[in-house]
Amino acid sequence: MEHVSAGITEARADAPVVRKVPRGRTRVIGVIMVVIGLFTLVAFGLNTSSKAHSALTFSPVDIISNAPWHLGTLTLLTLWTNVVLGLVMTAIGIEVLWRQPRRGVMGRFGLVSVLFLLALLFWAVRTPGPSQVSFIDLTSILVGSSEVTMVLIFGSLSGVMCERAGVVNIAIEGQFIAGAFVGAMVASTTNNYFYAAIGGLVAGGIIGWILAFLAVRYLSDQIIVGVVLVTMLSSLSSYLNLQIFTPYPNLNTGNVLGNFAIPLLDKIPIIGPVFFNQSAFFYLMLLLIGAVSFALFKTRYGLHVRAVGEHPHAAATVGINVARVRYINVVLGGAIAGVGGVAFISQQGQFQPGITSGLGYIALAAMIFGRWRPSGAVVACVLFGMSVYLADNLQTYNIPISTEILTMFPYIITIFVVSGLVGRVRAPAADGQPYLAG
Amino acid sequence: MRLELRGITKRFGSFTANDSISITVEPGQIHCLLGENGAGKSTLMNVLFGLLHPEEGEVLIDGEVTKFADSGEAVRRGIGMVHQHFMLVPVFSVAENVVLGFEPTKSFDRVDYKRATEEIRRISKEFSLEVDPDAIVENLPIGLQQRVEILKALSHDAELLILDEPTAVLTPQEIDALMSIMRSLAASGKSILFISHKLKEVKAISDVITVIRQGKVVGTAEPTASEKELASLMVGREVILTVEKTPSTPGANVLEIRDLVVHDDRGLIAVNGVSLDVRAGEILALAGVQGNGQTELVEAITGLRRVESGTVTLKGRDVTNVTPRQALDAGIGHIPEDRQRFGLVLSMSLADNLVLNTPKRAPFAKHGTRNLRAIDQNARDRVEDFDIRATSIREPVSSLSGGNQQKVIVARELSRTLQVLIASQPTRGLDVGSIEYVHHQIVQQRNEGNGSLIVSSELDEVMALGDRIAVMFAGKISGIVDPSVSRQAIGLLMAGETNLEHV
Amino acid sequence: MSEQLATRPPRHFLRRIGSQDPIVVASLALLLGFVVGALIIITTTPAVLDAWRGLFHSWGAPGHAIKVSFDNVGAAYRTMFTGSIIDPQSFWHSLTTGKGWDTTLTPISETLTYATPLVIVSIGVGIAFQTGIFNIGANGQAVLGGIMGTAAGSMVHMPTVLHIPFTLAAGLAGGVISGAVPGVLKALTGAHEVIVTIMFNYVLYAFLLFAVLSTALQQPGQQNDISRTLDPSAQLAPLFGVGSGLRVSYGVFVAIAVVLFAWWLLDRSSLGFEFRVTGANPQAARASGMNARVIVIVVFLISGGLAGLAGVVQVASTTHYIDGEFLIGNAGIGFTAITVALLGRNRPMGIVWSSLLFAALGVGGRAMQATTGIPLDLATVIQSAVVLFVATPVLVKEIFRLRGAPSQTIELATKGWST
Repeated sequence: MEHVSAGITEARADAPVVRKVPRGRTRVIGVIMVVIGLFTLVAFGLNTSSKAHSALTFSPVDIISNAPWHLGTLTLLTLWTNVVLGLVMTAIGIEVLWRQPRRGVMGRFGLVSVLFLLALLFWAVRTPGPSQVSFIDLTSILVGSSEVTMVLIFGSLSGVMCERAGVVNIAIEGQFIAGAFVGAMVASTTNNYFYAAIGGLVAGGIIGWILAFLAVRYLSDQIIVGVVLVTMLSSLSSYLNLQIFTPYPNLNTGNVLGNFAIPLLDKIPIIGPVFFNQSAFFYLMLLLIGAVSFALFKTRYGLHVRAVGEHPHAAATVGINVARVRYINVVLGGAIAGVGGVAFISQQGQFQPGITSGLGYIALAAMIFGRWRPSGAVVACVLFGMSVYLADNLQTYNIPISTEILTMFPYIITIFVVSGLVGRVRAPAADGQPYLAG
Repeated sequence: MRLELRGITKRFGSFTANDSISITVEPGQIHCLLGENGAGKSTLMNVLFGLLHPEEGEVLIDGEVTKFADSGEAVRRGIGMVHQHFMLVPVFSVAENVVLGFEPTKSFDRVDYKRATEEIRRISKEFSLEVDPDAIVENLPIGLQQRVEILKALSHDAELLILDEPTAVLTPQEIDALMSIMRSLAASGKSILFISHKLKEVKAISDVITVIRQGKVVGTAEPTASEKELASLMVGREVILTVEKTPSTPGANVLEIRDLVVHDDRGLIAVNGVSLDVRAGEILALAGVQGNGQTELVEAITGLRRVESGTVTLKGRDVTNVTPRQALDAGIGHIPEDRQRFGLVLSMSLADNLVLNTPKRAPFAKHGTRNLRAIDQNARDRVEDFDIRATSIREPVSSLSGGNQQKVIVARELSRTLQVLIASQPTRGLDVGSIEYVHHQIVQQRNEGNGSLIVSSELDEVMALGDRIAVMFAGKISGIVDPSVSRQAIGLLMAGETNLEHV
Repeated sequence: MSEQLATRPPRHFLRRIGSQDPIVVASLALLLGFVVGALIIITTTPAVLDAWRGLFHSWGAPGHAIKVSFDNVGAAYRTMFTGSIIDPQSFWHSLTTGKGWDTTLTPISETLTYATPLVIVSIGVGIAFQTGIFNIGANGQAVLGGIMGTAAGSMVHMPTVLHIPFTLAAGLAGGVISGAVPGVLKALTGAHEVIVTIMFNYVLYAFLLFAVLSTALQQPGQQNDISRTLDPSAQLAPLFGVGSGLRVSYGVFVAIAVVLFAWWLLDRSSLGFEFRVTGANPQAARASGMNARVIVIVVFLISGGLAGLAGVVQVASTTHYIDGEFLIGNAGIGFTAITVALLGRNRPMGIVWSSLLFAALGVGGRAMQATTGIPLDLATVIQSAVVLFVATPVLVKEIFRLRGAPSQTIELATKGWST
């Protein structure tokens, strides 16, 4: 990019756009990172007996017995490993505190979080120690968290579709619920998750249509409509659960969709089981990531969508129908979230009220973290998915923190991410603003 | 193309923005529409471009009556517009902005950026509009952004180009570049409709000039006409509002501004080292076309915008970068430019708006509880003192006319003890009676010994009110003169001409 | 005249659902909500569905189907009414025999009991809305209030006259603390309160489980997620005595006090004035010298505090203990409060009426469930539907073709994720 200008020295100085990045907050984040690093150093490192060691393996627990590669086990001295990890984390924190870089602060924070989790796990599985399990199996952690991650990705993709066109979709949680409910019902009756997916798609799409209808045509407050829709759907699902599922339990049998493995590829160490031994919904999700990215950033349709989300007036002056673009995207977004709900229930089995427990909102936070790009959202979903999975499963390691407190962590992390990101990320410029034509 | 506008009339409620306007633009001609701010030029262009529909009149293209349902259709018919506020998506690249809505595609609906870039480079070369197609628009200087707008219009095969106040935001060098572009476009057969209020440029570039004032065409001129003639046509020999004013007896400096530097919302410099003094018992009128930094200057003084460097001193006390609260408490009165956004809460009552910035002070509140009786009494007093026409002090101010809304703000500010009054475009949108009244109030409080800074783009007002007149152009003060100077001279200062031959 | 040429929607946040005669719109929205509820009943009750399935079997079938529909819907709504307000038969009986007043007055008493904490939390939410702040975390704040109130009421012992204020204050404090988190985050970082409050709700729910399972709050000798019981000295006793069977408690005085406080705050205090200005036009608020950060924090403290107070009032006046399911799900008063506040247009008196209405819906829903088997959640669905219609007055007006100038102004403008 070049500044083609003829030696302009006068009045209108053409400095590049200066976005005010909050310095004070960067310092606070730096301090937090240093604190976490030091805590790791002391509690997980120095606090450990020097004889303890932890094992890190890369094979899935249910080992594919004929795997030609078996990476074996890496056994490390817990104390030193965690001391090193703690030092690295503290160093990153000091760097942020000192240099206050303008970009990539939250990325560094993400890195620190991952290292923290790693250190925590190392410490938890130390032998001799209270844990029953003496090793961390990275692969099974990745595989285990991929279930939640998958659902989150569906949600984030939905969020991206809607918000890139300028509409805030708080109702993703509701679309998950609808998808899960309809999915459970259709899957139980037809024994076929394909039809269930179609059902979820339609259900989510209808809710998206309601949101679009109220927000685009009637200019309602998008957030209020979203929140109320979620409340309504949540209650409705509860109601229907009692009215329909209780008297007719055959409608909610809880079939779980099995995985199918892609031969040969699934034997690749680490990524094999994670990527190539999953349910159909997972593969669908991978396709969808590609499709949404492609559509939004390479096609004409995507250009129109993004124009509407950034500067609807400019789009209107070249003849783009702003309302129609928004309608289409919000309905599509709803449909995607609906399928996400079906994907969720395909692993959980039976529908129960409250089963989605806020995943829809976490997906939104992941979308923000990912800067409204599918690729970024995916990375964020992996992080959040891991935190949800670990929160649910850490008790196997007998850590002296009670289960209930552990379940808080994904939500706390989300709050932190959202607060830390304000001012660092830019939403589509017209996001959330009703567009009044003419 | 040959464009003809016949008898175009456009009304907004009771206000007539365009009154039976007729203009003809021939192919290959650069036709300039000259007029002051608010004369109705932009409205006319929006009508032409299909964004607004006229109440009366018709548009003829090459002799055929045409009606545009929306601007997309106008574009397809060959009308291209370079808007005053660019219709560009800031985060998109040049290429993406230029092809938006008319994208070349390949398989799977993919945008063919290769073809698009080739096309852009071709047009760039043909019309000497050098721009890097991959540059991100928001990172480009304004002059280049404007080029992108022009490229956009040209890529849609526009035969008529409308440029709405294109030089308002350009530096002199960029203006020259633009001029040569326009000439080459005209030479290649395009028609150009150029809207401006800047005399020098209009003379330099146009083939024909049509002057508009208050929604009507008041005359046509040749570019050979003198700037004096054009200025008087544009500004008019209407009745200059006479303000009864005894000569001022200025006292000590009340407000001192030194080397102030302020940025605008995009981070660019808007106020570029301004120094001003406002003296007690004096009205300093700040003249200048809107958009030259006056808004940012006022915001900086009143605490609504950060001062990057320089100082603001109020009677010896440093008030640089104070909060709005501190500015108010220090005695800075502010009549804001955008009264509905910053000056009033439309849904609240008249009485409430009158105490908007002093709700906690006695007698309006005591120990945190509002004294409704005092607030009401205050409202009644103000309504009487300032002749505010309202049915009740409880009605929301949204139901008041613009003039009365402004009176509410004036009443509020002038009833406080002020050290200095800052008023920005105080009579914009007001009827004659209200204008007179506001002026009267301002002069009165000046007579009582207060100092005020009145920012206005209305030349009449500046000359009538100012005891001294400062003119702002492109972020700097281009001159401080005595009101006895001719209006043409001030007009020239406003247009950036600092070399005044004595007119 | 640039003002009339508004090419961009104004960026101020008008919380007023401005239209001609909002009560008409609200009533019609209510009607539409009940229609939605009726449709749901018809499409999901087996008996009704059966009747409709036989639609083409005979000439009398449509009439029969309609009759069955009406019967079911009628029965549902009738039990809602008698269960929440009054049963005319019972009333007549009491009037004529002078006996059985307890039974007759129970529905209203239940409605009032339910409405008491609801009013308190809804006013908190309404105050926030008037300032342009979405406190979606009211439910979580009420939970923390309930937790701290239960702790104060069961683990500390003192005479009634001290214990009740102490317990209530503890609940209030719990709400204040949980409101402070999103408030400070928003004031300092600008974080959008919607995601923060919703996430924090889940944090607080987890804390609830923790508190009743793993801390001293758990009922001694219990393995389940049940807390200690409030000392009798900390309980809000029924107004008419325990024997009457009427549960409406002294809590109503707390509610009345809150209403008075809200009225004073919004109408009479200068702080409330600043709240309202900030909600109506944040830019004018700033230009008028109001400190947005301080206002945001104070609003969250008040809103959260009231939610916490509602939580403890609920415990102290009804169950006298909490369990892991306290205020669970979307029937939780914190979520009902949002719909109540919207319907009541964020004003104290409006909130009182809509609280009573929605409380009646809730209580009636329970009665309906007991009698007809239709799940209680239907009441919440109706509430949400009503609110959706209220939030879209233009839609209601179109459906009923109400006269009046179509408002050109945008009534509600979201800010998206930026502040």
